[in-house]
Amino acid sequence: MAERQKIDARGAFCPGPLMELIAALKLAEIGDEVDVWSSDKGSASDIPAWCAKVGHSVVETSEHDGYWSVVVRKAK
Amino acid sequence: MQTKPLYIMLCSGEHEKIQLAAMVASVAAVSDRPVEVFVTMNAILAFERGKSPAERYQGGHFHEMFKTQNVPDAVELFGQGKMLGEMKVWCCSMVLDLKHWDCDKNLTEDLFDGPLGLAKFLADAESGELITI
Repeated sequence: MAERQKIDARGAFCPGPLMELIAALKLAEIGDEVDVWSSDKGSASDIPAWCAKVGHSVVETSEHDGYWSVVVRKAK
Repeated sequence: MQTKPLYIMLCSGEHEKIQLAAMVASVAAVSDRPVEVFVTMNAILAFERGKSPAERYQGGHFHEMFKTQNVPDAVELFGQGKMLGEMKVWCCSMVLDLKHWDCDKNLTEDLFDGPLGLAKFLADAESGELITI
């Protein structure tokens, strides 16, 4: 069964949240989801752009109080 | 279509320039773009083995901000890019000769792929895009 892992990368600067996401995806199974929390403004656009480039799926992006949550599903 | 490799010639020892090179190299490498980095001139000083992040870089406007805030260390960022993507890091053979350094003994462990001459790097770079920092 697919799992969802949360990464709290708030406080990390670019490209820290993206690199943490990629490291987590390396260890995840196909279909698993990683929810990255980032206070870096660029992450909300960087992470979806990276997913489009390499072929993973963005499940949802949402803005919260001072941070963004981007949920990514490992597709390959 | 195969993405063109990115070649980065890193010459500056300034913190913000090495930081930019590390960001560009690591993000490109994890985005399925092969990257090769040629470290030369003052930039090589940041990669001297045994130096702490606080000792590595030679100033620049953002230097203190990088050190006091939670910005990923540039040398460690190169390492992450290499681990998670397709990246090669070369040290300039001329600079090594001038410093009487050995790539395997005097530079950051497990980061460099070896010494390389400028002519070889430039010849390889004809297959992709070259930026100099």
